[in-house]
Amino acid sequence: MQPADLEAALRPSVGAHLLGTEPFEGTAGRVRFAREGALDVFRAVKDRLGFRHLSMVGGIDWVDHREVFYVVWSDDARQYALLSTDLPAADPHVETASSVWPSANWHERETWELVDIQFDHHPDLRHLLMPDGYAFHPLLRSFKIHEPEDLEVKSRHV
Amino acid sequence: MSEMWINMGPQHPMTHGLWNLRVKIEGELILDVDPEMGYLHRGIEKISEDRHYNEVITLMDRTCYVAGLAWEHLYILAAEDALHITPPERAEYLRTMCDEFQRVGSHIMWYAAFVQDLGLMSPFLYGMRDRDLVLDLFQSYTGARMTYEYMRVGGVRSDLPLGFTDRARRVLDWLTARFVEYDQLCLGSAIFRKRCDGLGVLKATDCVEHGVTGPMLRSAGMKRDLRRDRPYAVYDQLDFDVAVADGADVTARYLVRMEELRQSVRMLRQILDWLDRHPGPAMAEELPRWLGAPYAPVGKEGYLLKRNYPKGVGFSSVEEPHGEAQAYVVNEGTEHPYRVKFRSPVFANISAARQYLVGYHVADIPPIMGSVDVCVGEVDR
Amino acid sequence: MSNLTLFSVSDLLVTVLLTAIASIFPEPIRGWLTNPDLLLGLACLVFGALLLAASMLNTILLIWWERKLLGRFMDRRGAMHVGFAGLLQNFADGFKLFKKDTVQPREADALGFYAGPTIYMVTSLVLFGILPISSGWNSGALPLTLLLALAVFSFAPLFIFVSAWSSNNKYSLMGGMRSAAQMIAYEVPLLLAVVAVVIVAGSFDLTTIVYEQQNYWFWGPLFLALLVFVAGMLAEMERIPFDLPEAEAELVEGWNTEYGGMLFAFFMLADYLRALVGSILVVLLFLGGWTLPTWVPAAFTSFPLAGIFWFMVKTYLVFGLFVWIRASLPRVRTDQLLRVGWNRMIPLSLLSVFLAAVLVTAKCLPVFGCVPSPGG
Repeated sequence: MQPADLEAALRPSVGAHLLGTEPFEGTAGRVRFAREGALDVFRAVKDRLGFRHLSMVGGIDWVDHREVFYVVWSDDARQYALLSTDLPAADPHVETASSVWPSANWHERETWELVDIQFDHHPDLRHLLMPDGYAFHPLLRSFKIHEPEDLEVKSRHV
Repeated sequence: MSEMWINMGPQHPMTHGLWNLRVKIEGELILDVDPEMGYLHRGIEKISEDRHYNEVITLMDRTCYVAGLAWEHLYILAAEDALHITPPERAEYLRTMCDEFQRVGSHIMWYAAFVQDLGLMSPFLYGMRDRDLVLDLFQSYTGARMTYEYMRVGGVRSDLPLGFTDRARRVLDWLTARFVEYDQLCLGSAIFRKRCDGLGVLKATDCVEHGVTGPMLRSAGMKRDLRRDRPYAVYDQLDFDVAVADGADVTARYLVRMEELRQSVRMLRQILDWLDRHPGPAMAEELPRWLGAPYAPVGKEGYLLKRNYPKGVGFSSVEEPHGEAQAYVVNEGTEHPYRVKFRSPVFANISAARQYLVGYHVADIPPIMGSVDVCVGEVDR
Repeated sequence: MSNLTLFSVSDLLVTVLLTAIASIFPEPIRGWLTNPDLLLGLACLVFGALLLAASMLNTILLIWWERKLLGRFMDRRGAMHVGFAGLLQNFADGFKLFKKDTVQPREADALGFYAGPTIYMVTSLVLFGILPISSGWNSGALPLTLLLALAVFSFAPLFIFVSAWSSNNKYSLMGGMRSAAQMIAYEVPLLLAVVAVVIVAGSFDLTTIVYEQQNYWFWGPLFLALLVFVAGMLAEMERIPFDLPEAEAELVEGWNTEYGGMLFAFFMLADYLRALVGSILVVLLFLGGWTLPTWVPAAFTSFPLAGIFWFMVKTYLVFGLFVWIRASLPRVRTDQLLRVGWNRMIPLSLLSVFLAAVLVTAKCLPVFGCVPSPGG
């Protein structure tokens, strides 16, 4: 499968929300889409193109905007494909993929808590790796790892 | 007893690591489960952003403590992809050998932990004894038994010591004989079959829905193995079969892993033969200065020399012992990766816990979770 | 040797000592000291102390035996550093437990929490006092020793359940429930298997049962009963494959999850005491007790304490069998265990009772030729 195949299959159902496809080494290609068409893209990729297996969801903080990428796998084509969409840093939210691929559930929870990307209509958007009530999003570029001497260590046994 | 929630973990013999399985039970029956992860979260993805490309390898060994070399390989493939570097063929063979030895070590470790969950005490120690031979081999060529730091961007750190291949072949001979014993101790036991048959069933369609991969997926009759479907390193030159079973239950997962052990031994023999016949460099000749010798003294400007390196995004996917792991490395032309994202197969396998645990008994949790082969280090990263 | 019992030894010891001490005192005190009631009471105390020491030493030796055997089954050496061949390792472990704190969970019920392990331990020790170990080592000729032993033996689930419930832990409670269910389920076939022995031997007195085996040991004619008895005993002793109440994989440590220090040591010791008693019962009921077959040369049976020696050899071999089973079998599941108990073991034990009755009625033991059946 080539990027052109992806484009041909997705264009009719997604329309203008499909921003384009580009080659990506080792995969069928990368699909860029606008977040308004997220659900259409997910459904078309799964049902029309046969990428039934969602492997990974991840987020990247590009400081001025954020990117969510999805890695999907097709057993028929034996190929991966990447989907990605850019979100404005001020309002980073996108429709959840877990209604299409249930496996997205935990990946999106992780992406939400690490990169601060809201997934609309997610069934269970709780903290996964961080403790409940943790207020930071560690994988944002603005989150600096503290030097040990920066940390104020308070002992309970003073 | 009425319904109640119990916490299996974070300190519980079933967990084999540090995580918490919240279980809602009525008597001995499981009504609902809710895995809680994060107790071992060390922020490896974040730390990687402040590290040199070769320094991330150190973290990979700590990602999964039973399959460190497989994770090194995963990261190296993505990093080389991002940095546009090609390793020499001998390095590829050495890496594949590492992968397969790691799979043998990991599966034996899995066997030991799994049978102990069932109360089988002796095979646990047999497994640990035999795994030690594999660790001895690792020690002889990487210098370490758990945190190897053997692979480098562009190749591997060092070639094999003299006489290694013969020694490795002797270990393989010994292991091949032991695998028969393993099967006799488990499959030959009526109690084992009674406990494991039809337990923790997860059909192939559910596996795909929930992103379950690796031996769990193959045990449901689905013949998917990245080593065959999307060959990396030198797997396309090796002769092996993909292990499948069709019970989709704990016994089937056992059968798949045992068959994988045999196939790994088969591959390792081919690799060792190739290594004997093809001496050569184990490191790429042309490397950017800052990659070739990360620990050599650098100038005052230090890493500033390599700013002009081309940008790139690397993606790799390997069949590690637990399933399909993926790495996504973004290179923005600096000495540090801009973003590293890993996909752990166990992460996805545990996320489907509700599908294969609900409806069984409390006593079934250890064998079922044992058959998943949980490695918390790579789930939490 | 046969008339020298443990009690007569303690009696003699007390009498000699006390008479010697009394002789240095003037008359009224001497009279009080040599009062026969006082002598009898002191003799009972000494007897108890000797029993306690002997059973404790045996238990600790049993643990050592299990560790060494398990080690060999697992391709390792077992305990080997403290004392010769690790013989003192268990004393070191015991001392470690002894000096540990006892931690009582905040919400635990103190009475049950402490009474449970204590009574569990005491009932297990009482058992040891009841069982005859050789012609000289028994607590006297009670006509119903077997019944008494089994009655005391089946106390355990109650106190396990009490301590499990009062430690206020969900795992403990589940372990206690499992333990009670399992022990009650296996009590029935166990007793029925014993009934088969009683029918053939014609007595509830363990000493008599042993002497009834002079001609042939009961394991041959009552093989089915032996199988049921050993399986039931494994369940009663909570050893693999029937160690569900403390299945560490899912229940952490089952009903003794919350126990530490000396209270845990009580459980541990009592478990091994019960294991010892189980092995002893197998030897007494099926393997001829302290006797050897008549064709054995007299040299093997005539040395001092030969009875105790052979009895111990048999007991440790039987326990070795239990260890072997532990080393090679996985654990079964609760529902499977109960199903096997009620659906398989009870019919089998009833069958063994029936076979025993047939044997006795026919006055004929086909395996060993037609000798007059002692019970008939």
